[in-house]
Amino acid sequence: MNDIEHADVVWDAADLACGVLLLALRGRMESMRPGQVLRLVAQDPGAPEDLPAWCRLTGHTLLSAEPPVYLIRRKKG
Amino acid sequence: MAGKFCVNLTHSTDNTDRATVGFVLANAALGSGKETMVFLSVEGVRLAAKGTATSIHEEGFPPLRELMDNFAKGGGTIYVCAPCFKKRKLDENNLVAGASIVGGAKLVEFLSDGSPCVSL
Repeated sequence: MNDIEHADVVWDAADLACGVLLLALRGRMESMRPGQVLRLVAQDPGAPEDLPAWCRLTGHTLLSAEPPVYLIRRKKG
Repeated sequence: MAGKFCVNLTHSTDNTDRATVGFVLANAALGSGKETMVFLSVEGVRLAAKGTATSIHEEGFPPLRELMDNFAKGGGTIYVCAPCFKKRKLDENNLVAGASIVGGAKLVEFLSDGSPCVSL
């Protein structure tokens, strides 16, 4: 499946990193409906480790991680 | 997700790199769903005074003022060490958003359930 077609929201975070990226990402996810999918492009070299950890912490589902592209499904509720 | 996270920040204009990274880390915790508190102590208390952070912009990071504003807007809390603040004769009526001057008991209470605290 084409991941762009699959995504409900697309966000290019460019080189945002660490806390700047995560706080902005929280805001993006909160603006989405439960179950919707975000296609995130994150160029930060820390993102491949950080984004899976962030999903484990927050309960959102990391559907795929092919740096710099990540598909994240917003959790229910 | 439940859980709390504390960043103990002891620097401001004396070490702008540490001051900046402290709030980047705090925003990471806040963005990860943690109830996050920055404890400003020693030289860090200067950041609680409006205007101090405006002059700090480390290369490779957003301006500190922006990091602090986003922290406050995101629901982060800033505790300011009362004796450290008083010693430096700073103005308690000129605090940045999200900041409050506290004694040690507030820090101890925040951490008393075993919450992690990172020092910078």
